[in-house]
Order: sequence, then structure tokens, then C-alpha cells
Amino acid sequence: MNDASVIGRGTVVRGSVRGSGSLEILGRVDGDVSVTGDVTLGEDAAVKGNVSGVHVTIAGAVQGDVRGSEAVTLEHGAKVVGDLTAPKIGVMTGALVRGLVRTDGEPPLGAARRSLAGQAARPAVTAPKPVPAAPPPRAESALDEDAPESDDAPESGPIRASREAPPPPVAPTLAKGAKAKKKKKD
Amino acid sequence: MAGTVIGEGLSIEGDLTSEEEVVIQGSLRGKLTSSDAVSVGSSAVVEADVNAQSLTIAGQVTGDVNAAERVDLQAGGRLIGDVKASRLTIADGASFKGNVDMDV
Repeated sequence: MNDASVIGRGTVVRGSVRGSGSLEILGRVDGDVSVTGDVTLGEDAAVKGNVSGVHVTIAGAVQGDVRGSEAVTLEHGAKVVGDLTAPKIGVMTGALVRGLVRTDGEPPLGAARRSLAGQAARPAVTAPKPVPAAPPPRAESALDEDAPESDDAPESGPIRASREAPPPPVAPTLAKGAKAKKKKKD
Repeated sequence: MAGTVIGEGLSIEGDLTSEEEVVIQGSLRGKLTSSDAVSVGSSAVVEADVNAQSLTIAGQVTGDVNAAERVDLQAGGRLIGDVKASRLTIADGASFKGNVDMDV
């Protein structure tokens, strides 16, 4: 009957919270939160850990990854340090995010980046819907040369996209493998 | 409505500390501390030491219980652990195993 849970304003949980039903957090949780219902974080709520639910709505602070199987919404005043993953992501004005924001179902970031960096004869076709459509590379380079400090320009999409992309990971596996092969040969 | 409600489907592993009323219908393993009333519902399973202002048990509690005011063990409730409280009621139909210290 009572499947709705509330962690009140004056309550601190140190440990993991998981299960079914919806959960409203108004207090603090130091640990992972994982429920099969909706999760709502109030304005003064703070979670240090990963949060996952169906619809995750955040107006408080989260230090950890946030995952919604349906949607993640950051309200005004939300502070998230961590990655956001959901099919639908909403970020209201006044919300702070530091991390990777990723909508499920879009092509992997690496592929999009490669097409941007290469010749990219038809960049607009491959660009996923939720990301603002990237203009042709010529326009981008022209923008860079002509007006690099155009802060008031509202469409700084492509520049931001290239900034957000993390550097490719350095894989030391090749060197290790090579050594092993040498030893085997000996 | 109570300040904190742990619903039937929810389980917490760890410590829960509160300054407000706590109602538990789900499960809790760890430690439960509240400076207000704590209610353990009939569907609840608590494996924790409980410190509270007052405590009402209608579900299962395994652990030592310490209440500043009172402990009420209701019918259907099940408590395994020691009780330290100045007032204690055990209803007909409740089960209890443990020591009682009424602070005399």
C-alpha cells in the first residue's frame, strides 16, 4: 500500500538505499540510491553517491552519477557533479552540472567527434537530434578565425561540443603485450 | 505526515540518523537513531540497534532497543533484543525475547 518513501529534511542515511516504489529525498544520503520508481531530490537534499531511478528529478545536490531509465530532470538550483544518463535529459536554467551528459540511443561520442574532425562532407546528417545541429566545418573555422571571443553569440554549440569531448584514453596494453611476446620468443 | 517514511519496497543498509519522526515499513540493516518517535510497521524488518525518543513496534526488530520515553510492542510485533526504556508495554500476541532494563 505505502510504497512511497520519504527521507525527511532532518534525516541522514549513511549507506545504500534500494528497492521499489518512489522515493523523495529531502535530507542527506551518503551512499548509493537505486530504486525502481521515481526519485525526487528536494532543494536542500544532498546525495553523495550514484542515483538511479525511472524519472529522476533533482533540485538539490548530487555528487555521483545520475541515471534515469526514463528521464533525468535538473531543476533550478540543482548541483550535480557526475555524469547524467537517461533517454531524456532536462536541465533548467540555474542548474549546475559538471560531468558527461548523455542521452541513451544516440551514436557514441567518439564517432560524432571523428566526423567533426575529418572532412565531414555531410555533418548535419549524422548529428543526433538532441545535440544542436553542427554547422558545416567551414563555417566553424570561419567563426574561429573571425570572432574567437564571441561570448554573446548564443550558438556556441560546436565549440562546446569539441571542448566537452574527453581526451582519448592512453592504453598501455600494447607495450605490455609486446614484452610478453618478446619473452615468449626467447 | 511523518518526516521520514521508508516504504514497504525499500531497503536501507547502513545508518539512519534523524531529528524527526521515522516510520519504517520496509527493511533496515545497520543502525537507527532518532531524537523523535520511531514506528516500525507491520511489514517492516529491522536488523539494527534502535535509539529513539519513543518506539512502536508492529513488525520485526532484531537488535537492542533504547528509548528515552517508551517502547510499545504491539500485537503481531516481534522483538529480539534487549530493551532499555522507562516505560514498556507488550501487547497480547506480541513476541519478545530479551532483557528489560527500566532504569529503576
